[in-house]
Order: sequence, then structure tokens, then C-alpha cells
Amino acid sequence: MMKILGAVLIIGASTLFGYYKASLYAARPRQIRQLIHALKRLATEIGYGSTPLPEALARLSSQCSRPLNRMFGTIADRLRTGSSDTAKDVWQESVRLFWGQTAMKSPERETMLELGSSLGISDRENQLKHIELAVTLLQHEEAAARDEQLKYEKLSRSLGVLGGALIVILIY
Amino acid sequence: MHPALNAILPERLRSILSRLDEAICAGLEELRVREGKPLEVNYDGRYAFVTPRGGLTMTPSESYKPDKEDCAKLLDIITNHSLYSFEEELRRGYITVRGGHRVGLAGRAVLDGGRVKLLRDISGFNIRLAREMRGVADKVVRLLIDQAAGSIHHTLVISPPQCGKTTLIRDLARILSEGSWGTAPGSAKGARGLKVGIVDERSEIAACVSGMPTFDVGPRTDVLDACPKAEGMMMMIRSLSPEVMIVDEIGRKEDADAIQEAMHAGIRIVATAHGRDVADVKRRPDLAPLFAASVFRRYVVLRGAEAGRAQLVYDQEERPLQTPHGKAVAAR
Repeated sequence: MMKILGAVLIIGASTLFGYYKASLYAARPRQIRQLIHALKRLATEIGYGSTPLPEALARLSSQCSRPLNRMFGTIADRLRTGSSDTAKDVWQESVRLFWGQTAMKSPERETMLELGSSLGISDRENQLKHIELAVTLLQHEEAAARDEQLKYEKLSRSLGVLGGALIVILIY
Repeated sequence: MHPALNAILPERLRSILSRLDEAICAGLEELRVREGKPLEVNYDGRYAFVTPRGGLTMTPSESYKPDKEDCAKLLDIITNHSLYSFEEELRRGYITVRGGHRVGLAGRAVLDGGRVKLLRDISGFNIRLAREMRGVADKVVRLLIDQAAGSIHHTLVISPPQCGKTTLIRDLARILSEGSWGTAPGSAKGARGLKVGIVDERSEIAACVSGMPTFDVGPRTDVLDACPKAEGMMMMIRSLSPEVMIVDEIGRKEDADAIQEAMHAGIRIVATAHGRDVADVKRRPDLAPLFAASVFRRYVVLRGAEAGRAQLVYDQEERPLQTPHGKAVAAR
């Protein structure tokens, strides 16, 4: 009886792990998409409204869904409190801090960190070019992430179930 | 330390300047930050360099020299982390920060069709502290009032830079708007506030932050912030029906035209111009039409900085309206 219960637990856990992995593969392109939309909105705020960075980011934060809203919100709050940190420092620290909560990987993170080092310190034209560059890079990553999703989403689900079964067979 | 500096300086500069002597802080007029050059303070008409420990020295080698990072941080803070939203200001070469303080910038100009488009590689900052001095205009306002009309004469305030032109007209705006000049003997009308319009092209008179004046410019005062003077004056005349209009630093032909237009609309004008005395301003070709028509009824000439400050008032024929001791002579 105990054995059967144990086996069920093992299979259940590994299945859940498989589904979790699959959900990450599905979430990554979705979140990159959201990030691209957010950056495009930022470009509009900067290009047409000349909105100062703290306000622009606060607006982004209210329009995004989790977990990006918290990232942008934190940056906006820290910029608004008027500490003497530069926008670059605040941006990069916050991106690093919140990256763990997203499903995105290091290429996207590098793009965002790179963007942070040029935000707010040049004229409008230049800002738009930097954002455009970041958007282009993210679009490439999005395509790659979609490929991975197609390949690995189902695979990791089945691997979860089968892996659990394998362990149960081995220890039975 | 001055609260305005506290709000805009990056940490390192702030900690150095927080150790400055209180007496020097009180008289501080300008703080100059230049990349790789000694940190400089201008106070009470003098200058000195600042050492890393917050002392003063005249030897450049002993002074603290702000580095690239200090300058980048300072620029980041004064532009609210958004240099791109200050393109107009960069084109003009200065940024007005909260409290009406003006930060002049030095860098490399980027041209577009022969005109300055903006500044980049900014490496020099001149932080000019604005002072609100309530009551600086109390003495002169009596000589400027047109008792018959219950308003102010057309007035031109003349002085070299840093002698308190802007401070004076800010206080005039407050007094006229409150109607608090009526303490003069024989003024039957007493205190009736006037509708005052300020065209504040450089955001220095009222020091607006998001459209709200941060200096006291009186209860009946409208401010057109960051608006080009000539255009702003026309907008004011059309839409805000001011009784008195106040503008800073006139000098171009359009300004002179707009002032004449306003006068025909029955509006009293208070303006300022750079110059040492009336004759100096009269020589400026673009303002000549104003003097040809002798539109100004009063000239106020400011002399000297801080303690030795003097306000001299003349009428339209340039006769002094004060005795040498500053007392008013009989009105002509």
C-alpha cells in the first residue's frame, strides 16, 4: 500500500515538474512579446510626449501585466524618490533583481541591461534608435523562443510523466 | 547647505559642500562644476575653490576636481533622468530646476541648418541660486505708481546681470497683485489688487514646476511659463486680460513690437533689460522704437551686488526721482 502511495507521489511530482518546465517554454515568448510592446510604448512616450522617464515608466507599469509591471514600477519609484543614483544604475539593478521572476533568459536580459546604459542620457532621436535596436534584438529572441516552445513544450510534459514512471520502475 | 543644492547634487559633491561654512552658504550665488577643473563657489561677489574636505582655497591644485562621473550624475539628476525631454532647454543652454534656480550648461553644440539644435558632451555647469526676497521692491514701488490711474507706470528695470532684476520684478508682481502698495500717503484708492500677467520665458520669475509658481507672485497673477516673450505677450493680451504685464529681459525687435501692442491695449508694462544705465539700453537698435516713442514713464536702474545694492528711479525724461540719500523727491 505504502509502495503504491510512494509511486503515485513520485509520478505526480515529476509530472508537475514537467508541466512547470513546459509552462516556462510557453511563457518566455509571451513575456518577450509583452516586453516588446512595453518598449514600443516607451518609445511613443519619449518620441511624441517627451514624457520624463519616471512618469513614462510609471505609465508602462500600470499598463503591463505581471511580472513586468513590478519591474517598471520599481524603477519609476526609485527614480522619483530623487536619490542621486543615475537612471542606468537603477535600471540595471532592478532588471537583475526582477529577472528571476520572469521566464526570460539571459539574451533578453543583456539587451535590457544594454538599453539601460543609454536611457535618458541623450536626445530624443538617439533614444528612439536605442529602443528600436532593443526591440529588434528582442524580436529575434522571440522567434527563437517560439521555436523552442514548439520543440520542447510537449516534450517536457511527456518527459515529466515518463521520467516519473522510470524512477518508479527502477525502485520497484 | 542650501536645500536646492541638496536636491540636485550627486552624493559626492553633496557631501563635500555640506561641510562648507554656514556663512558662505548663506551668501552663495553660484556653484560652478567643470569636469576635471576645480570646484568653484561664488559668494558675496567673491570666488574661491573648494577642497575635498569642504574648505576654501585659492590654489587650484588643492581643490576638489569633479570627474566625468560627477558630471554625468549631476546632468542625470537635473534633467530628471530624461535628457530628451529638455531639448528646448539644451538649445538655449540652461535648465531651470525646482525652486527657480538656473543651471547654465557648457558643452559641444550640435548644429542643424546653421542653428544650434542642442548641446552634447556637457562638461560645465553653472548653478545660479535664485533668491526670493520679499520686500525688495517695497521702497521703489511708491515711485512707480500712477496714482491717477490706480496702477503702475510703464516701467523698465535696467541692470547688469546678477544685480537683482528678476528678484525685483517678482516682488513687484506680488505687490501689484496683492494691491499692498496703498500705504503711501494720499492714495485714496488704497489696496486694490491688479490682474497681473507674467510671461516667464526662462521660468525664472515665478519658477514654475508643472505650471505652478513656486515663488509668491501674488493672488491675482497668471503665469505663462516657458513661453517666448513676444508670442506670450500677444497670447496674454488676447486671452488673460491682464492690467499689468511683466516680462523679463527684453531685447529683440519682436519684444519691442509686442510691448507697443500691449500698451495700445491699455495694459501697463513692467520689463527688464540688460545694461548699465538708461543710455546704455537706448543704444540698442532693436529697442530704439520704444525710446523714440518714449513709452516708458519710469526707469529703475540697479547697481551693485548684495550689500551695496542701490535702486535708482528716473522719470521719462531721465530725471532722478530720489535724493542722493534715497528719499523720494516731489513727484513731477
